[in-house]
Amino acid sequence: MAIRLEHIYKSFGPVPVLKDVDLEFPEREFITLVGPSGCGKTTLLRILAGLETASSGAIYHGAQRVSDLAPGKRDVAMVFQSYALYPHMNVHGNIGYGLKVRGTPRDEIDRRVREVARVLEIEHLLDRKPKQLSGGQRQRVALGRAMVRKPWLFLMDEPLSNLDAKLRVTMRGELKRFHLRLEATTVYVTHDQLEAMTMSDKIAVMDQGVVQQYATPAEIYDRPANTFVAGFIGSPPMNFVAGAAIADGRVEIACGNGARARIALSPLAAGADRPVLLGVRPQDLRVHPSRQDDAIAARVSLVQLLGSEKLIDLSFGDGRELTAQVKADAQLAVGDAVWLTFDPSRLHLFDPDSGRNLRP
Amino acid sequence: MKVFDLIRSALAWLTLLLVTFLMCFPLIWAMSTSVKPPKDVMATPPRVIPQEFTIENYRNLITGKQQYFRADQAYVPTTSAPQHFTSWFANSVIVSVGSTAISIVISTLAAYSVTRFRYRGRRIIPYFSLLGYMIPSIILVFPMFMVMSELRLTNTLWSLTFGYVSITLPFSMWLLWAFFRGIPVELEEAAMIDGASRLRVFIDIVLPSALPGIIAAAIFSLIVSWNDFLFARVFINSIENLPLTVGVMHFFEGVHVDWGLMMASAVLMTVPMAVLFMLMQRHLVAGFGAGAVKG
Repeated sequence: MAIRLEHIYKSFGPVPVLKDVDLEFPEREFITLVGPSGCGKTTLLRILAGLETASSGAIYHGAQRVSDLAPGKRDVAMVFQSYALYPHMNVHGNIGYGLKVRGTPRDEIDRRVREVARVLEIEHLLDRKPKQLSGGQRQRVALGRAMVRKPWLFLMDEPLSNLDAKLRVTMRGELKRFHLRLEATTVYVTHDQLEAMTMSDKIAVMDQGVVQQYATPAEIYDRPANTFVAGFIGSPPMNFVAGAAIADGRVEIACGNGARARIALSPLAAGADRPVLLGVRPQDLRVHPSRQDDAIAARVSLVQLLGSEKLIDLSFGDGRELTAQVKADAQLAVGDAVWLTFDPSRLHLFDPDSGRNLRP
Repeated sequence: MKVFDLIRSALAWLTLLLVTFLMCFPLIWAMSTSVKPPKDVMATPPRVIPQEFTIENYRNLITGKQQYFRADQAYVPTTSAPQHFTSWFANSVIVSVGSTAISIVISTLAAYSVTRFRYRGRRIIPYFSLLGYMIPSIILVFPMFMVMSELRLTNTLWSLTFGYVSITLPFSMWLLWAFFRGIPVELEEAAMIDGASRLRVFIDIVLPSALPGIIAAAIFSLIVSWNDFLFARVFINSIENLPLTVGVMHFFEGVHVDWGLMMASAVLMTVPMAVLFMLMQRHLVAGFGAGAVKG
């Protein structure tokens, strides 16, 4: 059954934290709430768990209204950022606590705890206390505690943020595999757009208590709803070029010194003449060593080697900067003059005032 | 450099030995006097290791044998001790354990309340309670005597029990408040999501995590009430209702002071506390809750 959030509002005192959040999570999907800190994503997760009460609005699981139920009655499971393992209980006790509270018979608890421990490969740790475990092991115990009850909804609050970079990549894959195996709806909170992109079926990008866009990772990457989403998703972040305009079916960019670059758009995409904010991802910028027609003249100001790619900072016109991502073998050095062109189909046009995408 | 290190560690050892000696000497002297026969107590030169060994003092205390002392060629029975020693001991145990139990139950619940529930004044309550603890007992004892008198509780063990609670409760609450603040709220939230009620969370998760703090507060309360002299002196006026501290004072009897009995009482008073402290020390070690959150 799908989960519906209807017009959720939440404020702490006079401070509004969530404003009219209206989402539907299809059954068995992996949903990610992503946004900068303070965007309300964790609050929304806590409202789903029942740890916070929404100021108004309701949550439905199928036809059942669950927003009035206490956390323990909702039968959801949550993995905390800090893991929140019970320090005085061993791993067996930690995983089995939820079953014990619910009055499950002892041998049944033991059977299910061992089953989960086998899946998570922590059977040999069952007698240990949390303080005797490594970060990755604690993570698995926290996961086991959530899995053992077979809840209909998994909530995860930045579960990977306390792990080192390498382990984080491994656990990312594992979490995704567990999700496929468990087939329970999962709501995952993170501030890391890469985690959101790699793991999710759907992403809700949040900022200032508002869901800016709720769509699949591909949609969000290719057709960001506004400049916030465009700038937040994707690494390195999208370049924005101010001072552009649509004129006669082309985008004109003022390059300083009165020079103008022109990019032809398909008639359908162009629309009426108007000023626009141009967005282009570093991967979609073409950098040429020689003069091109309708190209922006720029100068290389910084080169960063990433391994298989290079990040090139380019300055043009009146001190504006763009970042381009090129192959590592491109022969570019600081101070080189280059010419930039754009693939018109990869350009994003935004309203300069509202930031809304003009051709979603 | 090496010589300097040697001198430094020698100095450290000397200081430690000196401090240890200073701390232990009264107890060693009390133990020594308690097993000497009366004629050796005031012997010159004084001896730490008795020449003659006797357990007479302890036997007299425990059996409550009537004592006599010589005055003007005749033997006069002592008016008080040691026939009351066992009841003093029992009184001390009752009021200390009783007041500690009351104080711990209330302070634990109160401290949990001010750390976890939101209501007006919850932030200042702990500081006020500490302020209350800072007022010297001597200022409180007479008003409290009036109150006890109104309640018709003077000369009962209840007056002492409540009196001690009034001193130990505020401090215990403040101590536990600091402890509860250190317990991550996520632990409780995790348990609630696991299906536990607030009370169950308190019993299953909070109490075990706060155990070192609760033990520390309990030991503090026990020591304060076990060692109290002032309240007992003011509230109690019949000899059989006294706790040990004031009771033992009756071994001073005008012309006669029974040092042997007094020192034996001192040893018997110290031993239970020392043993308890040693047993509990393991639980007091900090870091009990380490590993609950983060890495």
